[in-house]
Amino acid sequence: MVGIDLTARENVPRWLNYATPVVTILLALACGAVALLALGVSPLAAYWTMFGDTLLSTFGRTQTLIKAVPLILAGLAVYLPLRAGLFNIGAEGQLVFGAIAGTWIGLNVELPSVLLLPLMFVAAGTAGAFLAGIPAWLRAKWDVNEIITSLLLTFVALQLQSYLVRGPMQDPTGNFPHTAQLSAAATIPEALLGVHAGLIVAVVAVAVTYVLVRKTGLGFEITFVGANDAAARQAGMSRFKIYLLVFVIGGAFAGLAGISEIAGLQGRLRAGFEPGYGFTAIPIALLGRNSAINVMLAGLFFALLFVGGSSMSVAYGVPAALVEILQALIILFLITAEFFKRYHVDIEFDRAGDAATGGEA
Amino acid sequence: MVTFAAGLLDATVQAATVLILAGLGELITERAGVLNLGVEGMMLAGALGGFIVTVLTGSHWLGFGVGILCGMALALVHAFLCITLKSDQVISGVMITLLGGGLTTYFGSAWVEESIDGFPEVTLPLIGEYLVEIPLIGEAFFRSTATDYLALLLVPLGWFFLTRTNLGLELVSIGEDPETADTMGVSVFRLRYLAVLIGGGFAGAAGAHLSLAFSGLWVPGMTAGRGWIAVALVIFAQWRPSRLLIGAYLFGLLDAFRLRSQSLSLSLEPGTPLASVFNPVIDFLTNPQIMGTYPYLATIIVLTYAVARTKGDRLAVPDALLEPYTRETD
Repeated sequence: MVGIDLTARENVPRWLNYATPVVTILLALACGAVALLALGVSPLAAYWTMFGDTLLSTFGRTQTLIKAVPLILAGLAVYLPLRAGLFNIGAEGQLVFGAIAGTWIGLNVELPSVLLLPLMFVAAGTAGAFLAGIPAWLRAKWDVNEIITSLLLTFVALQLQSYLVRGPMQDPTGNFPHTAQLSAAATIPEALLGVHAGLIVAVVAVAVTYVLVRKTGLGFEITFVGANDAAARQAGMSRFKIYLLVFVIGGAFAGLAGISEIAGLQGRLRAGFEPGYGFTAIPIALLGRNSAINVMLAGLFFALLFVGGSSMSVAYGVPAALVEILQALIILFLITAEFFKRYHVDIEFDRAGDAATGGEA
Repeated sequence: MVTFAAGLLDATVQAATVLILAGLGELITERAGVLNLGVEGMMLAGALGGFIVTVLTGSHWLGFGVGILCGMALALVHAFLCITLKSDQVISGVMITLLGGGLTTYFGSAWVEESIDGFPEVTLPLIGEYLVEIPLIGEAFFRSTATDYLALLLVPLGWFFLTRTNLGLELVSIGEDPETADTMGVSVFRLRYLAVLIGGGFAGAAGAHLSLAFSGLWVPGMTAGRGWIAVALVIFAQWRPSRLLIGAYLFGLLDAFRLRSQSLSLSLEPGTPLASVFNPVIDFLTNPQIMGTYPYLATIIVLTYAVARTKGDRLAVPDALLEPYTRETD
């Protein structure tokens, strides 16, 4: 007879906190190795191409940083509501809304670059904040589940984008589902290391979020509401305000992610322009849930995964979908590990067995 | 006009079957207190698994069965994480959708060029030939694939199971109040596992129907968001099988109409008063992409209305949804 005894841990050993992300990533890579072997590819060589070659080449590092910009910003859009105990799984939609609004300004407003770019960012942030505000308001006002509504609004945003690039915002010179090219004034200039200035926006966003959560009274309220909603109400904190705030700021970050990707990299809004950054934001926020800095590190790691994954895909003819598998596995192992953080598991081997003991008595 | 309507109905029935299968499974899972956001991934697993087996063996039913098993395999992961390990159901579900999409794209790339003859469209035995003669709806409803009939049959069965059998009632009870149910001797863990596996099987069946009856092809990501619509549909239906059936036809009709809206102009004649005002509005509202937002918007409205009206007291949403169950121990 094997008995399993679970006891809730009172405090998590420090080593476990650091070991978890590392171990989960290694486990996911081990599973990915099986998938690589199944297609007859040497996992070591493939992973070397994926991580080694990418990190050792200037091109690889630049691409990783470029990819990290929308991932970090979208990651913050999930992270901030998570601090208040809310789940924003609609960062994808908020990102798309930001891209739409920013691109529209970029195409239709004539201003010098110093004014136009900030205006585009403001528009993108506002659009993202607006779309995020709906689930937040419904949750704060009527307790409508924000997970469901933020998710559903994502599909609304994707359809709307698809409509716009085929209709009102379509490039008039062709019949492709994309907008016209943004002018030079509406393009984000290169900042450093060959990476566009969106990187600075992302780093500033991380710093702002870090300071907001860790160093301000508001940040304390956010964390308090997230930890104990009822006690927070007793203490006179407004749940309504906090819920709206975290979602609106988060949505704005996602909106910035959208316009950085368009104006910094792609140059025009296309149907299906982005490969699910808003959904990858969920693993990023979960992996980095302890602080905004960790969100940035997780964002960089997933960017590396994307960039390395596509060069591996080209080099070995393996579908790039391996990256999706790895992403999902990392988080599935992570939530498995959460269990061992929360509970202390004792396995008892009782040789006599319950039945035998019962018989003797 | 009549042929347009008949074609529209035919497409509605086809689109609805997928939603009925996936939605009914999700409904059963949610009634037991577990949210499954992995439907889309499970459907893809069912679509690819079923397709491969049908290509290899030539048997539709064997493929369909394997499709169900593929859905259940992913559901087992969800069940283990959410029930045994008490993990967050939202995270697990979203990641399983990601995993299912990744795995099927990765391993399915070799099968993209294959095609099969789908499930044949048949009439019901004995009375079928007369039913097909019914104007307008005959062809749509009574000349269908076996899986279409199966989906229709499963709705009353699902209703009967949840409301009239002991097992079904126990299953609902653990979605409402697992503590009390446990005290009454209902095995919460075992039943929740069962509910999640049933949901995964239904999602796998929905996916297999897509590749085996609907298209006869495998294309990565071929579910195209139908799994998410199924999740929305359960909320839209307020967790009731009968309303799920109506909702599935409504969403199915919308889907069928949206693919055909180009061929049918609803615009007013140029001379009609106010035509210049209404026509742009009609064009906008019947645009295929704009119509694509309706199921999601309708679900948000229904959800908000239901929550606001009942102020959380009598809402149909299972009380223990999203809450992992931990047995009190001394």
